[in-house]
Amino acid sequence: MSKVQERIIDSVPTEEQKDTSFFKSVKKVLGKFGTLIALLLLCLIFTITSEEFLTFDNFMNIARQVSINALLALGMLLPILTAGIDLSVGAVLAFSSMIMGIVTVSMGMNPVIGILAALAVGAGFGLLNGVLLTKFHLPHPFISTMGTQFIARGLALMVTAAAPIAGFPLLIQYMGNGFVANIVPFSFVLVIVVYIIMHIFLTKTKTGRYIYAIGGNKEAARLSGINVNRVLLIVYTISGLLAGLAGVIQVGRVNAAFPTAGMMYETDAIAAVIIGGASFFGGVGTVVGTAIGAAIIAVLRNGLNLLNVSSDIQMAVIGAVIILAVYVDVLRLRKKRKAGSN
Amino acid sequence: MKKKLSYVIITALLMLVLSACSQGSNSESSSGNDSSSGSNDEDITIAVVLKTLSTPYWKVMEAGVLQAAEDLGVKVNIVGPPSEAEIMQQVNQIEDQLSKNPDAILVAPIQPSTVVPLLEATDIPVITLDTDADIENRLSYIGTDNYTAGVEGAKFLIEELGLKQGDKVALIDGAPGNPATNDRIKGAKDTFTEAGIEIAAEQPADSDSTKAMNVMENILQVEKDLKAVFVASDDMALGALRAIEPSGLDIKVVGVNGDQVAAESILNGGMFASVAQKPYDMGYLGVQKAVAAIKGEEIEERIDSGIDIIKKDNAQEQIDFLSDIVD
Repeated sequence: MSKVQERIIDSVPTEEQKDTSFFKSVKKVLGKFGTLIALLLLCLIFTITSEEFLTFDNFMNIARQVSINALLALGMLLPILTAGIDLSVGAVLAFSSMIMGIVTVSMGMNPVIGILAALAVGAGFGLLNGVLLTKFHLPHPFISTMGTQFIARGLALMVTAAAPIAGFPLLIQYMGNGFVANIVPFSFVLVIVVYIIMHIFLTKTKTGRYIYAIGGNKEAARLSGINVNRVLLIVYTISGLLAGLAGVIQVGRVNAAFPTAGMMYETDAIAAVIIGGASFFGGVGTVVGTAIGAAIIAVLRNGLNLLNVSSDIQMAVIGAVIILAVYVDVLRLRKKRKAGSN
Repeated sequence: MKKKLSYVIITALLMLVLSACSQGSNSESSSGNDSSSGSNDEDITIAVVLKTLSTPYWKVMEAGVLQAAEDLGVKVNIVGPPSEAEIMQQVNQIEDQLSKNPDAILVAPIQPSTVVPLLEATDIPVITLDTDADIENRLSYIGTDNYTAGVEGAKFLIEELGLKQGDKVALIDGAPGNPATNDRIKGAKDTFTEAGIEIAAEQPADSDSTKAMNVMENILQVEKDLKAVFVASDDMALGALRAIEPSGLDIKVVGVNGDQVAAESILNGGMFASVAQKPYDMGYLGVQKAVAAIKGEEIEERIDSGIDIIKKDNAQEQIDFLSDIVD
């Protein structure tokens, strides 16, 4: 028998192999839906241990509480897909909200202009991040976004000499605290809409596919004719834009903009993206995964709050979950590499 | 993929264990009331959200709350974010506590304006502790009169040091926009200015000890002829002290809060004095007044929890008092 014939015969599954392939597909499903199962398990545990968890009101609270991080995480997904990162999102959230405060409250302009100003500031910082990376060739987005993080934080503190701004118009308050049809929080509806748009963008458009290609192998992407710099500019601008939007929602929620907002928010955002299955090495990750990751963190915090667990333990738990999620990611990659080398 | 599932299960079990442990500790602290106490307040639960539970000042307030809960036979759920910088976490904690339908809520808001929407939307008695907020329906504010604390601190310095017209002092404030520290400095400033004493320097140090040290170093570069420094908190005062000691200059440092470390420093001749707040009383009164309000009684709208000046001769007393409560 020739080598080719041997190969063909080997590739046809035998009776025994056919049985185990059922279990293989079950495993595949678990692999794909592992994070969803983790979320459901979490909800189950909290339902058992806390009597207030499984109530409609509490779920509406969670919906409101998840909105800010959900937007930041969605923005964070894009840089991570390209094997990059954006550490400036928390500070950009703060600075955009302060600008909105100055425009709307101090200068008394129309709230719509204030919101647009916040989005513009966010996108502007995002663009700056992209430019630093592509035109100034700073070695890694970790460095460039860390720098812009400090710049944004400094600006946020400077514009009002660190004083908060309160008393925003009803439109902005509605965005953070209002309800659609009297039941669902507006911020949650907004998040769903943005997520759907992003999902379509990443999966159905050329640029979306380029983002995955760059994350998979930047050089190969560049050599195959993709304008890597242009895509990266878009990636970081979107991240900044969503940080600006998150700033608007946060102001709406508490009717105040304060310069110390968003401290360490980038950590929760990164956590949500990674728990949701994205890889730091780029090219892997989905919008749905990020949604589940953000939900897991929000549910964790809410459930632990309901159980009166001290904040210190909460921090430790979230840290443990992040490490676990990344370790699972590492295992998956090693398995993939082993399989590839066969 | 079996591994992934097992990790998920391990996390879940870990969480179950942790939440069970902490639930245990919480009911321990609040269940010691059924047998001994005189009053029989069945099932009153009060939610208490402080600025943090991670620093001595707030731990003392927590102790006051717990003691009142024990004495009055009520349950309290005390929570707080990991630091005084976690503003949104505190907001989320208030929201989650409110969804548990407590009978009253006590809040020490980190950023007063952020808690207003949530607390104005609730019907239960709302009392603010330590820092007030512009909440329409809040029944009472229990806290130090920070302006008076500043005034008393300045007065003490003027008397003890025999300060006269033309003498120079420095002021170190907390973060701009923090009403508590800002008011203390205002009180001190007004008192000094009235007595004709010159404010040679006035700088914020964001309630951070290291920042205060840097600020003090910078002030000393420019102005060495200071008689005293009035600092808006003990943490910052100790930082400022660290900058003064190596300089060899005799500048008296007075802080605010009456923390145990400050009292120890005073005893050892480091800090000169501290205007002590009474966080224990704030916590205790908070629970007491909340219970009264729940029962429909009228309570005062503004309760001054009082101050005490801790100096060398009563520093030991303060140390003993504090170490007894926070055991």
